[in-house]
Amino acid sequence: MQGRVKENGNFDVIVIGCGIVGATIARELSRYTLKAAVLEKASDIPFGASRANSSMIHGGFDDEPGSAKAKFCPKGNRMYHALYEELDFKLRKFGSYVCAKGESEERHLKKLYEQGKANGTIGMEIVSGQKLREKEPHTAPDITAALWCESGAIVNNFEATLAFIDNARQNGVSLYMETAVDGILSDESRSSVRGVSTNRGNFYAPVIINASGVYADVISRMAGDDSFIIHPTKGEYFIFDRVAGDLVTSFLFSCPSKLGKGITVTHTADDNLLIGPTSVQQTDRDNRNTTPEGLDDTFDGARRLVPGIPRNMAITTFSGVRANSNTGDFYIKALDRPRGFVNVAGIKSPGFTSAPAIAWHVTELIRENLGDVVKFEKDPAFVPERKHIPRFADLGMEERQRLASSDPKWGQIVCRCESVTEAQVVEAIRRGARTVAAVKLWVRPGTGRCQGGFCSPRVVEILARELGVSPLEITRHGGKSHMLTSKTKELLLPGKPL
Amino acid sequence: MSDISGVREIDVAVIGGGPAGIAAAAAARKEGAERVVVFERDWEAGGILQQCIHPGFGLHMFGEELTGPEYMDRYLKQAKDAGVEFALNTMVFQMDPPVEADGRRAASFWVMNPQTGIEHVRAKAVVLAMGCRERPAGALGLAGSRPAGVYTAGTAQRFVNMEGYMPGKKVVIMGTGDIGLIMARRMVLEGAEVVAVFEIMPWVSGLRRNIAQCLDDFGIPYYLEHSVCELHGKDRLEGISVAEIGKDRKPIDGTLRFIGCDTLLLAVGLIPENELSRMAGIELDPSTNGPVVNELLQTSAECVFAAGNVVVVYDLVDFVSEAGERAGSSAALYALGKLDTGRREFAIETTPNIRVVSPQKLCGERDTTVFLRVAEPVEGRCKLWAEPGIFSQTLRYARPGEMNEVKISAQKLRELPGDVKSVKIGLEAF
Amino acid sequence: MSLSEETKKFLCVSCPVGCLLKVTVQGKEVLSVADNGCPLGVKYAQNEVVNPVRTFTSTVRAVGASLPVCPVRSRTPLPLSKVGDVTRELAMTEAAAPISIGQVIIKDVCGTGTDIIASRSLGKR
Repeated sequence: MQGRVKENGNFDVIVIGCGIVGATIARELSRYTLKAAVLEKASDIPFGASRANSSMIHGGFDDEPGSAKAKFCPKGNRMYHALYEELDFKLRKFGSYVCAKGESEERHLKKLYEQGKANGTIGMEIVSGQKLREKEPHTAPDITAALWCESGAIVNNFEATLAFIDNARQNGVSLYMETAVDGILSDESRSSVRGVSTNRGNFYAPVIINASGVYADVISRMAGDDSFIIHPTKGEYFIFDRVAGDLVTSFLFSCPSKLGKGITVTHTADDNLLIGPTSVQQTDRDNRNTTPEGLDDTFDGARRLVPGIPRNMAITTFSGVRANSNTGDFYIKALDRPRGFVNVAGIKSPGFTSAPAIAWHVTELIRENLGDVVKFEKDPAFVPERKHIPRFADLGMEERQRLASSDPKWGQIVCRCESVTEAQVVEAIRRGARTVAAVKLWVRPGTGRCQGGFCSPRVVEILARELGVSPLEITRHGGKSHMLTSKTKELLLPGKPL
Repeated sequence: MSDISGVREIDVAVIGGGPAGIAAAAAARKEGAERVVVFERDWEAGGILQQCIHPGFGLHMFGEELTGPEYMDRYLKQAKDAGVEFALNTMVFQMDPPVEADGRRAASFWVMNPQTGIEHVRAKAVVLAMGCRERPAGALGLAGSRPAGVYTAGTAQRFVNMEGYMPGKKVVIMGTGDIGLIMARRMVLEGAEVVAVFEIMPWVSGLRRNIAQCLDDFGIPYYLEHSVCELHGKDRLEGISVAEIGKDRKPIDGTLRFIGCDTLLLAVGLIPENELSRMAGIELDPSTNGPVVNELLQTSAECVFAAGNVVVVYDLVDFVSEAGERAGSSAALYALGKLDTGRREFAIETTPNIRVVSPQKLCGERDTTVFLRVAEPVEGRCKLWAEPGIFSQTLRYARPGEMNEVKISAQKLRELPGDVKSVKIGLEAF
Repeated sequence: MSLSEETKKFLCVSCPVGCLLKVTVQGKEVLSVADNGCPLGVKYAQNEVVNPVRTFTSTVRAVGASLPVCPVRSRTPLPLSKVGDVTRELAMTEAAAPISIGQVIIKDVCGTGTDIIASRSLGKR
């Protein structure tokens, strides 16, 4: 996947960005015979906000009726409930509660309930604080009422994003990693797009879909459109040991404020406890640094919902930067000029939930408006189903034994915290993982309580072996993020001062 | 390939082939247990001592200073001579709660080996000897970016000492745990630069001799009440920010400074490895993070024994081996139906300045040593005692980095009046 | 000319106890050692004054072995001042599998009078 792209850089559609939006669009496009390419700047998928979020599939009661969010979110929710089986990613139907403290917040719950009804949210009910605590005994005693939403679900957001792009690739979509768009090519009159220029050469297509997350306005300006601005908004999170995961069994929201949905507390799809996010606007699009204040705010906010969260059981912290648009809503629009350029921007929360519905909408939008430049013919060979790499940890004993006896690599545990076998790592590499982080996103070694202390030497070794390179070339997350710097003794050889 | 509907029956299973496990297995055989099997996930027994190539082991056990591999070599010979079986490259990945077998409780668990696949094992008694793991960087809630070059000291130790690779060239070490100090010296001896060692507490958490021979010998500075607060660098680590820490354990305003480095090694604590203990449903102690045991090293499940760093993190491997021997011998006796767990049970209570204590219970069956760690240093003479009238000793000092020992005579315990249900251990300065 | 007496402090590394020795010296002569928990402290203090020695451990490259490096040690403590020389010597040393524990890797390393020996056995790959 290194080097410049050659003659074959001609496509019908180019998607910029392989977050959940780009990945779901790619998968929609793969239903047709057209030639599509996805260009991703990073070394791992997912990378941006799709990697670092609350992994919630929202019910859809949160957004004002009539908004794009209100339109796509409940629809996306319903789609996920079918897609997770078709595409084999982890989705768990835990349901969600919005927790209210006192009368004014309770009034807000009623508003959310009405909104949800208008938006088509399924399975809502307002319950008393006591009823909440019967199901969630660790929630704060001063919560007076809660809005239950049965259709709220949790996904493994890494697996979900990978599932869409994996299936798209199986159906013929090309994926180019470490490929950063630095210009939009159009005809001389700038009336139609022709392609994009990148660090790896030009890619040509009459339709360009801008799904570049926090960079969407920058990319849009390259096409000559400055109709919106992205305000990068950082959110910080903690993940806790599975032992703490059992503190809650569902997804808990604070009552929403102007800043966002507030701090949430979640039992994740993989049984950890996740808390966050804060919401702080910043100018830097790439600054995903955690901050002492942000982490403290996250923790304090979460403790308002679940007072007993033990900070010493945190296994890691991270932050994500959301693509908050100044339009206050999703911004999905095909430009008139240059024709062929489509912005799919400002996809912040509930963006992950909405993505499949947005992808369907965007595909229809192109079909209707750009059908003259791209032929939409259903691909009879399209296979909608796709299997994830078997998750050893979740398999029954007989299936484990069947795999272990089929290949010794299935019998070799690489990551003990998450029970990941060598075979899973090898398969992740076969499907495109090139870095320690990418392997982690695919099959989870390093996500457990020791955070890679045990498995990282083994993952480095397997990556090097499978890719046929020295361990010295293996990176944590691409670029110059090398895990190791030299062999031992090399710093001591003659000419090197001790 | 084995058939998973079948069960392999053994007498004593030892989970983990490190110092505790090897000693336990050898002792179990010597006590008369027939089939004693060590299940070790690595391709060779030895556990973490394989990568502990520095000296400092065995002074207590063998009267001479050995390196980790040498210490293990001696124990492995003993175990092999005693007729211990080794199942190497074999991971115990699931442990069931104890089952009923022949009218007694027995251990049931599942192992996997790349060549032989999955096997279900039932053992009359099991010794948990999985050791401990390192507290990871993520647990510290460090601010900043997430670059490559941040490792726990033990992971770096494996890379350097067993895989032959350097994790970096210019190193900062956070924490004064022994592995961090040992790795400071090790990195220097491989030609890397070690800029400094920082410790958040006002005292060193490792052994003082490691300050002398690992830092002072090589002119490496260390700073107490300092903490790494922030990581810098997008791809590879480019530096850290470190601040002085106040009495409230928070960074002092205006003291933050940048230090360039490409590697941060963390030695900020060890945590007993108790996934399997949890699966087995045995009682854990929140202060040690290991199983609650009595002096026989028997857990709350009568057929499950535990020894070494899986129970409580020790300073010295010699004590780990000693605990292993005790647990192995107890497990063998249980398997043979000969373990007398005594008619009495004493809870151990401690004064508040004692942070961890192990074992937590006594049954008065064996003379034993109770290990404890103080919460904060007591510099100067102090008295360590066990009441009523069991033990008293004057110490020159007591420090969290060095465990203290209380010798308990089983005879004395048995002679206590019948209404005495607990033993109180305390430490006070003169 | 007579040298004056002075008091030095050494942290004894002979065993894990780590006694902080109070040592009275005159030139290179140890007059007295206090605060030592055992006789090893006296010997340690004398060495520290004249010629500090340490047990040295490291690795050497292992050729054709089950691991790429083999741990080694000095058979007996060697002068601290020679540690730099010894590390450089080891950097240029290879050991071929099979290697057995205790096997001499470098005889009389850097003229210290002690050998570098393997501290574990390694079979062929």
